Amino acid sequence: MAHGHGNRSNEKVVYVGDSRIRKPGPRPAPPDYTAFPGKSEAFIPNFLLKEWMAGVVVLVGFLVLTIAEPAPLGYPADPLNGSFIPMPDWYFLFIYQLLKYPYTSEDFIVLGTIGIPGIAFGALLLVPFLDTGKERRFYRRPITSSLMIVSLIASVYLTWVSWHHYTEELEKSGVVPEHIEREEKNKESIESGKGRWIPGKEKTVALVKPDDPAFEIMKKAQCIACHGGELEGGGAPSLRGIGDTLSKDELVDTITNGRANGAMPSFKGTLSEAEIDQVATWLSEQKAEAAE
Amino acid sequence: MNHNEQHETAHKPIKRKEMTRRQFLSYTLGGATAFMGMGAVLPMLRFAVDPILTKKQAGAFVKVIEEAEVTKEPKQVAFKVHQVDGWYESDPKMEAYIAKGDDGKIFALSPVCKHLGCTISWGGEEAPNEYHCPCHGARYTKDGKNLKVAPKPLDEYEVKVENGWVYLGPLEPNTRV
Amino acid sequence: MFKSMYNWIDERLDVTPMWRDIADHEVPEHVNPAHHFSAFVYCFGGLTFFITVIQILSGMFLTMYYVPDIINAYYSVDYLQHQVAFGVIVRGMHHWGASLVIVMMFLHTLRVFFTGSYKAPREMNWVVGMLIFFVMLGLGFTGYLLPWDNKAYFATKVGMEIAGSVPWIGSYIKELLAGGTIVGAQTLTRFFAIHVFFLPGVLLTLLAAHFFMIRKQGISGPL
Repeated sequence: MAHGHGNRSNEKVVYVGDSRIRKPGPRPAPPDYTAFPGKSEAFIPNFLLKEWMAGVVVLVGFLVLTIAEPAPLGYPADPLNGSFIPMPDWYFLFIYQLLKYPYTSEDFIVLGTIGIPGIAFGALLLVPFLDTGKERRFYRRPITSSLMIVSLIASVYLTWVSWHHYTEELEKSGVVPEHIEREEKNKESIESGKGRWIPGKEKTVALVKPDDPAFEIMKKAQCIACHGGELEGGGAPSLRGIGDTLSKDELVDTITNGRANGAMPSFKGTLSEAEIDQVATWLSEQKAEAAE
Repeated sequence: MNHNEQHETAHKPIKRKEMTRRQFLSYTLGGATAFMGMGAVLPMLRFAVDPILTKKQAGAFVKVIEEAEVTKEPKQVAFKVHQVDGWYESDPKMEAYIAKGDDGKIFALSPVCKHLGCTISWGGEEAPNEYHCPCHGARYTKDGKNLKVAPKPLDEYEVKVENGWVYLGPLEPNTRV
Repeated sequence: MFKSMYNWIDERLDVTPMWRDIADHEVPEHVNPAHHFSAFVYCFGGLTFFITVIQILSGMFLTMYYVPDIINAYYSVDYLQHQVAFGVIVRGMHHWGASLVIVMMFLHTLRVFFTGSYKAPREMNWVVGMLIFFVMLGLGFTGYLLPWDNKAYFATKVGMEIAGSVPWIGSYIKELLAGGTIVGAQTLTRFFAIHVFFLPGVLLTLLAAHFFMIRKQGISGPL
């Protein structure tokens, strides 16, 4: 290096530093837009300022959204929960819905999971190599544009149908989405002075009068298959402390007629009215206060 | 931006005091940048520094031993403290040496050596009537005064005596030496 | 002060050309919403990047409280959202930002598609852009599991079944993603690693390539 300094300018090939990379000539001029109509302006500060005006509007709207609508949080994951209607995030709904149709499920599931999405996304990925013409205006490229518009309409339709089904199912089964129910229970708990309600961390209420013959009836009627051997809940809600939320009459109604669209079956034929009355009486005595 | 300002002013025959268009745009851009940065980052910063801004809960007192059982000889007692650490609640075990001082007051010492945090023990053949640390041989008197190796006296638990029971509270620096 | 510090660095590293290239390049009129209001469609790319930056920042802050563990994950999310100051906003930013970034990216893709901007010589940039799209969907899918509530758990199970239906290799993909035969503790740590380290790493690389190509090729001309 040291000896090279003086005569470097005379060398024909000049290297960058001590590397073997040739020193480049003057930078190539950046693309210029003199051929385009209208005026151009510098990126910073002129153009970026305009772009960021849009950014400020988006940010303010975004912050308002985050303050107005807290991110949803349901109940802790429970693999045994049979009544939960799983829904993916909205941007996966079109695929979710696609898999419900006869030619995309059962024997044709591969067509639904790999075939159609594979072709659609593969084509989208390779669009520049499929649509190689020079024309850029979309109305002069009818095939490409119409394919895109058709798939767009299909995706929007699938998403809409999927969401529609979901809301219908919620209505039918009378299920409130967990994150909403959770917020309400939490609010109730705070208002009643019990502090924040955290699902899964509530103190378990002990059974009141566990020797009562009504419990034997429940065991025989297979209530415990869903509500748990100690009525602590499982596939169905816990019945400990149920007397705090449901009155005896409501309990009789629930046992006789079932609930949540048959998720809780009717016991009209299985149990006699006297037995139902006995069970409901015992359950209505299941109160948190009495358990202490 | 400095380069530009120099460049532009160099071409102007009279130096004017007004802002150039470019300067104005730069300041506005800076303002917009700051607004966007702050709008996005300030909530997150407040979120991150929350632990130092939340009120610390006053350490609760735990019932440990009957007053009558405390003698002049330090006695090792174990007790559990309910600890809430964010989303994690636990009952870690703690230890203390409780004794009645020469002044007749009950005090409780933490068994954590002030040298390097090993656990000390009372008495034994090696060091009768002294606290001894097995790691580097630190010694303390019954009141927790550091005799050897350790730089500071043993920490003390706050002590409360009520209805014949001794309650221990949070740790504090030794008050007896 | 700053000027002399800047000069000191510039003398040694010659940084001026780098930022001046970014700062001073000319932007043509047809993408400038100040000249033609309809040109706001050209903002979606920049806005996608802005939201992505918010996602990265809010994600970094969320990991200060979050634990990827099936027993504590839910409770740590519950804690950071309800007990920590501004937790609602920071988690909200990350949750809603995930949707917004998809929306913005979708609009950006449509703009590029309908203006035919992917045509020669910009084919590679389109392909990289689509890869970014897929990475974003992957980030959405893996991030969805992390709060470990019922919604997360069952949506992931459905996703796993879809992966499992791939002919021949499906069951291997499924097991590899789940880190075992069930959706459980090992799935959560795996998804956490993918969501926080692997995909963001890929994303940043792709973004760098995307921006480099835009700068090198310039904006496509007016229609």
